[in-house]
Amino acid sequence: MAENREAEHVSTSESEQSDFIEPEIRRKDTEEPFINVDYEALEEYDSQPSGVIHELVRQCSHDDGKNLSSNDEISGGEEARSESEQASSDMEKVSLKPQELPEEELDETQTAEWRERKKHIFILSESGKPVYSRYGNEDKLVTIMGLLQALVSFVHDSNKDNIRCIVAGDHKFVFLVRDHLLLVGVCCSQDSPHQILHQLSYLYNQILSVLTHTTLNKIFKQRRNYDLRRLLSGAEKFLDNLLHMIDTDASFLLGAVRCLPLDSQIRDQIAQSVGQQAKVKDLVFALILANNQLVTLVRMKKYFLHPMDLHLIINLVNSSESFKAAESWIPICLPKFDSSGYLQAHISYLDEGCQTCLLLLSVDRESFFTLSECKNKILERLNKYNGLRAISDSIANSSYGIRQCGISDLRHFLYKSRSTAQFTSPEIEAPYLKPEEQERLFGLYLYLHHRIHMTDRPLKILYHVGQHETLLGWLTQGFELYAVFGPLVTKPVAIAAINKLLRWIKKEEEHLFILSSVTF
Amino acid sequence: MGKDKSNGTDAAVHNGVKQQPNRQMSTELYDISSKVMLIGDSGVGKTCLLVRFKDGAFLSGSFISTVGIDFRNKVVDVEGTKVKLQIWDTAGQERFRSITRAYYRDANALLLLYDVSNKASFDNIRAWLGEINEYAQEDVVIMLLGNKADMTSERVIRTEDGERLANEYNVAFMETSAKTGMNVDLAFMAVAKDLKMKKTRKPTDPKFSVTDYVNQEKQSVGCCSS
Repeated sequence: MAENREAEHVSTSESEQSDFIEPEIRRKDTEEPFINVDYEALEEYDSQPSGVIHELVRQCSHDDGKNLSSNDEISGGEEARSESEQASSDMEKVSLKPQELPEEELDETQTAEWRERKKHIFILSESGKPVYSRYGNEDKLVTIMGLLQALVSFVHDSNKDNIRCIVAGDHKFVFLVRDHLLLVGVCCSQDSPHQILHQLSYLYNQILSVLTHTTLNKIFKQRRNYDLRRLLSGAEKFLDNLLHMIDTDASFLLGAVRCLPLDSQIRDQIAQSVGQQAKVKDLVFALILANNQLVTLVRMKKYFLHPMDLHLIINLVNSSESFKAAESWIPICLPKFDSSGYLQAHISYLDEGCQTCLLLLSVDRESFFTLSECKNKILERLNKYNGLRAISDSIANSSYGIRQCGISDLRHFLYKSRSTAQFTSPEIEAPYLKPEEQERLFGLYLYLHHRIHMTDRPLKILYHVGQHETLLGWLTQGFELYAVFGPLVTKPVAIAAINKLLRWIKKEEEHLFILSSVTF
Repeated sequence: MGKDKSNGTDAAVHNGVKQQPNRQMSTELYDISSKVMLIGDSGVGKTCLLVRFKDGAFLSGSFISTVGIDFRNKVVDVEGTKVKLQIWDTAGQERFRSITRAYYRDANALLLLYDVSNKASFDNIRAWLGEINEYAQEDVVIMLLGNKADMTSERVIRTEDGERLANEYNVAFMETSAKTGMNVDLAFMAVAKDLKMKKTRKPTDPKFSVTDYVNQEKQSVGCCSS
């Protein structure tokens, strides 16, 4: 299943671990539930066979697989409401003559542009009804959706097994079956099937975040062929934005959060301002985000905010312009915290330029005005102690360049502190300034991460000499490190550099990470 | 925020004179406050209407859909009384309906919008009114607004259609344009005035009717300014 990409690289070798400081290194999956979406963990979802799928496969096998999109799904066409008249008429056209699709119906999938996309994502309901496609109009993709659904149910029905991945040439088809929804990634990008699976589970959680698991259950119990797009309308942008961030931001790959670099005293000051001024009943989390980075997080004593949930919050703030105009009051479900219900979020920007965003998450639906008052008090405090100024200064003075670490030959790195689920990396500099070079750099990290975390052969250390750079990945109990060097670096030089880097990070730790956790 | 309520005696000087809403005074001091909710299908222009009223500007460019509920305050002057309008701008998408519904009962006034160039948004008005009857207070002020009245060539809902529906449900009606500003201030001012009247009316005074007031003051598309 894991595709072998080694042929592309000049050589691959693994260094002896004795070269490194830390001799006792054991990989522990259990510590990091969110980064290794292992298949075992998915069994619980897999073990829920659905009557619809069984029915459909039986049908398909009678039909000799000709009519893959199935009557089951087509019957939904007439139930679509007037608001999607266009949509339903398209579906009817398809349903009338599934085998003789008119040319224009196929346009989308026939265009080179569509075919050349590196990462397609399809989400469909258990009965094969389109829910979301990253590219193209879902209505025109019903045939593909039906095909994907048939693949899943065929494997499930004939072998009592679950299809996980198909590799066809450069393309990987990765399947994730969750309650009521089927998520498929079709990619010819660097991402490994495992990484894609992880991304799909992010998308599933994003949908839960909008609807809650309870609603999803309720809807599909009532009507299996419900068109979920009706409830998701307006939420496509969250999925689009999430996918964009997944492809460009290492937080999702690492399952970690980037903190805004701040003087530790100022950070404490900010955290205290928030903690003291927001002491309100039923307030669970209070956090400040700036530029997709975490400034501070204050939480109720018993509860923790999972990085995955935090990423969904960041995605929400990042993908909506509407919060910039006024104080907002919105329901949000954090699946890792509680997938069955909503928290109520008070969202407001603290500065004119809309860079610093305050979120107050409460379980009390009536607390808008209380929280609005909290916001004013927090703002007053932050202004009084120059907290807001410190935040905007930090945003303005981009975090740090690789030169500040004082290590020659080191071009870029990602360092994740595993116990806090936070990471840091320097600004991207030459030779990675062009977008396509940045994409390539990200691809290198995907590769390195994939090799280190491979389920069948996990590695602690990987030294890899590539065509344009030398890579080094290192996994310990405390941290994960991925470093990119110039191509001519030797192994001892790289290792010395890494040790130096670790010392530098240790020195800067207070500045780069949030080390103390504040509670109400 | 809500604590600095003044007694209203200072403001009583401007007795009887109709005041333009004072944009400088849009914070803090007020005599009475009222909750106004903007509801209607997604994309009918609820946020645009509000921004036009609050900031006197038109949000052109791309459509930014509201997520959840946005909250804005504005204090307006009704014949010398400062009325604070707490305006809840709701998201029109279906999944938010059950959530916004929970806030209906607190509302003193509901501005229900449809888009004159979108038939579905008009057809859904009956469903919206049904919801209002079920969840809102009995004495809530309801105003039906046909927005985007400036879009003459795309119009599919005639003014008469809106009027007929409003009469049927006995609610106030007018057409508005967030783009030109037509009737926008009036819609909010009528709400503020009604509230002020409810609070200050002496038993002997004639009863204030929003519908009559609106019918008397509103502009029609033909004579719309700018």
